[in-house]
Amino acid sequence: MLGVIYAILFYIATAIIVVGVAMRVRTYARTPAPLKIPTTPAPTTGWGVFWRMVREVLLFQSLYKSNKWIWLFGWMMHMSLWLILARHMRYFIFESYWWIDAVQFVGTYASFTFLFGLGGLLIRRFAVERIRYISSPSDVLMLLLLIGIGASGSLMRFVTHTDIVSVKAFMLGLSRFHVGHLPSDPVLLVHLALVITLMIIFPISKLMHAPGVFFSPSRNQIDNSRDKRHLAPWAAELEK
Amino acid sequence: MPDGAEEFRKMQHALDVPCLKPGAMEGVQPFKAKPEHQEKVGMPGELIPDWKEKALEKMAELGEKNRAFKVYLDTCVKCGACTDKCHYFLGTGDPKNMPVARQDLLRSVYRRYFTFAGKYFPWLVGARDLTEDVLEEWYSYYHQCSECRRCSVFCPYGIDTAEITMAAREILDTVGVGQKYSNEIIGKVKEVGNNLGLNPKALRATLEDLEEDLEEDTGLAVRLPLDEKGADILLITPSADFFAEPHIDGLLGYAKVFHEAGVSWTISSYASEAANFGLFIGSYENMREISLRIRKAAEDLGVKRIVFGECGHAWRVAYSFLDTLAGPFDFLDQKYPIPQHILEFTWDEIQKGTLKFDKSKNDDIRLTYHDSCNVARASRMGDMPGGQFEIPRNVIKAVCNNYFDMDPDTIKESTLCCGGGGGLLTDDLMDLRIKGSSPRMTALQDVTEEHGVTHMAAICAICKTQFSKVMPKFGYEMDSVVSVHQLVSNAIILTGSNDGESAEEETSDE
Amino acid sequence: MAYDVNGTTVEHDEEGYITTLSDWTKELAGVIATAEEIDMNEEHWAVVNFLREYYEEYQIAPAVRVLIKSIKKSMGPEIGNNKYMYELFPYGPAKQACKIAGLPKPTGCV
Repeated sequence: MLGVIYAILFYIATAIIVVGVAMRVRTYARTPAPLKIPTTPAPTTGWGVFWRMVREVLLFQSLYKSNKWIWLFGWMMHMSLWLILARHMRYFIFESYWWIDAVQFVGTYASFTFLFGLGGLLIRRFAVERIRYISSPSDVLMLLLLIGIGASGSLMRFVTHTDIVSVKAFMLGLSRFHVGHLPSDPVLLVHLALVITLMIIFPISKLMHAPGVFFSPSRNQIDNSRDKRHLAPWAAELEK
Repeated sequence: MPDGAEEFRKMQHALDVPCLKPGAMEGVQPFKAKPEHQEKVGMPGELIPDWKEKALEKMAELGEKNRAFKVYLDTCVKCGACTDKCHYFLGTGDPKNMPVARQDLLRSVYRRYFTFAGKYFPWLVGARDLTEDVLEEWYSYYHQCSECRRCSVFCPYGIDTAEITMAAREILDTVGVGQKYSNEIIGKVKEVGNNLGLNPKALRATLEDLEEDLEEDTGLAVRLPLDEKGADILLITPSADFFAEPHIDGLLGYAKVFHEAGVSWTISSYASEAANFGLFIGSYENMREISLRIRKAAEDLGVKRIVFGECGHAWRVAYSFLDTLAGPFDFLDQKYPIPQHILEFTWDEIQKGTLKFDKSKNDDIRLTYHDSCNVARASRMGDMPGGQFEIPRNVIKAVCNNYFDMDPDTIKESTLCCGGGGGLLTDDLMDLRIKGSSPRMTALQDVTEEHGVTHMAAICAICKTQFSKVMPKFGYEMDSVVSVHQLVSNAIILTGSNDGESAEEETSDE
Repeated sequence: MAYDVNGTTVEHDEEGYITTLSDWTKELAGVIATAEEIDMNEEHWAVVNFLREYYEEYQIAPAVRVLIKSIKKSMGPEIGNNKYMYELFPYGPAKQACKIAGLPKPTGCV
């Protein structure tokens, strides 16, 4: 029974995150940027923009310029998240790859840096007057959700081990539309429920910053306005 | 100044973060446009009865027409990186002047009507209804943003509050609530050709008067040509250069550079304005109409090149948007950048060795340079990214011996706005302008203490006017702000000039 | 919003510039000056008169430099200089003097 409920939830959540994000991204991609507005100095070539985006996405370059504390906590949290996600890959595929094996060790301990970063961000939300002022309940809940996921995961990894073999079998079953047995371990159920929640709210929340950053005209435009004419389709209509 | 008795030191350090003072600037508003001003920008004269529907319609339209608007409203995670980056926040302490909070004034409404979370759980995500109070709040705080883009440098997603401010102003205009200062000026450009309302007859008289001065000073017929067909270069400069101090000295500098470089050039009475206030109100259509005047002038006069004078937002519109708005400029000489900045022109000539200077002519001042916000963060000069920082400094150092930069965190891409940009250079916002300038003024005071700096150079008509008004509040003379081409004008040695002593000095030095 | 000149009212805008330029009289100039806390003397009048003459011919106020040059010619360099103009009109010879002279406010980046 438990397995059926979670299976249904997982299918719904997956559909929502995939379709939801795809729709949002399609909207971003189809909305024209009528003017050239890169924040300068900006790269003058496509490759230059590619590297600018790489620096933004992997190193959080602009955030680093702005505030070392937010950068430290935010960067730790995000990079840890990538490692943790990579480590989790082996629960969803039958045979693991070498790179998944390679991140097992780091990925395991990344949960500490993940929680440390989130904790730092949460404390700042309350302790720094300016950030407290701009915070909505959802901003705090989002951090608590991530902390909940990280904490329940760490608990299973380091304290009350769950039957990970059954979990993997359940997940592999889902990918073949076969609903198997899910261990009724409360920590596991909480962990999975929180992950499902995260997947569902992803496309309707500020988590859309992840795909959104790639569409930011101030970061992804090439500074070549004197060399190449830039014209939005609706603006071209004005010229007729 | 009558109220100049204020203390001159406003802050300990230029970027000191104040404690929050909620409501400190609440209700501060510039005068609203009258129906006659509104009509000239193609907007309703007063608040329309169905303003709410129309405002939301406009918001939806902007979401479809402008990717930046859509993406910026969605992606903010409230990390707080921008909260201490706005000079108006630093100067006033009003939390609604923090960039993210300023965006949220509009984002909260966008969420309420256009997002799932805001429609069903408004309290959770800080969404709110659009009411007349909200409209008033928008009018107030979106006229406390100078669209300087400093926040966008520091945002991990590049969210540019200027884009949100422009959108908000456009929505306000659409429902009949416009700003008098900007909209009256746009009307004048459309009618007369420039922000001042300087008609061709008056412009010609002014230029002739200045030619007389030039001849008196140099003994040479240094010209300020107007509407001369067949000239190679069309100079588009802010009309403040024909009117205000220290702007006029910059104009005389351009004239001397053109003269010495031996090029033929002209000013146009039809397009006698570089500034494009269409940018300030976020109106593509108005911005385009104003830009097309420049195209028409270039075609009518048969010029080969377009050069822009010292003007910050103008250079943004020229460099980044002109080709989009009024291109393609295939009738101009493609060997030169279209358009070109006067500093690019002057620096090219310096490198070619056409211009000779007596730097000692500027020895009475010790100088720093204020990077104008829109030149720094929304345009470029030369071929390399960052040329907008290097070229003005190169020119200054070529004509002046004593140069010192301000705190690195307050110049180049991190430069602070003068406090009067983006349509705020109006007397009814003087209090805001003084407060907003205090971070820049503090950075200036620092180099005055450290290096004895006496003057600050700028390349924007707004910066120059703003500083000449606010500097007296910070212990400087009003003429402590100078045009970069004023420095060029002071030091340039014109061939055959009767001001012979400087030329001799220069040769004996070498 | 209006000035009161011996019982007759003259409309002005939010900033004190009169809305109908033909309403201007010498008495009105005195009233505006009082509102601006300026005590009109011969030097103030020289500026105001020049502004009005210039406006008459060109329908716009002169550049500050042109004004100063003219005052310098008529009243000497002690009065015809930028600093002294600001002593006469603390809010600037362009804006404040224009207001008293009944000219429209110079607009733009000035």
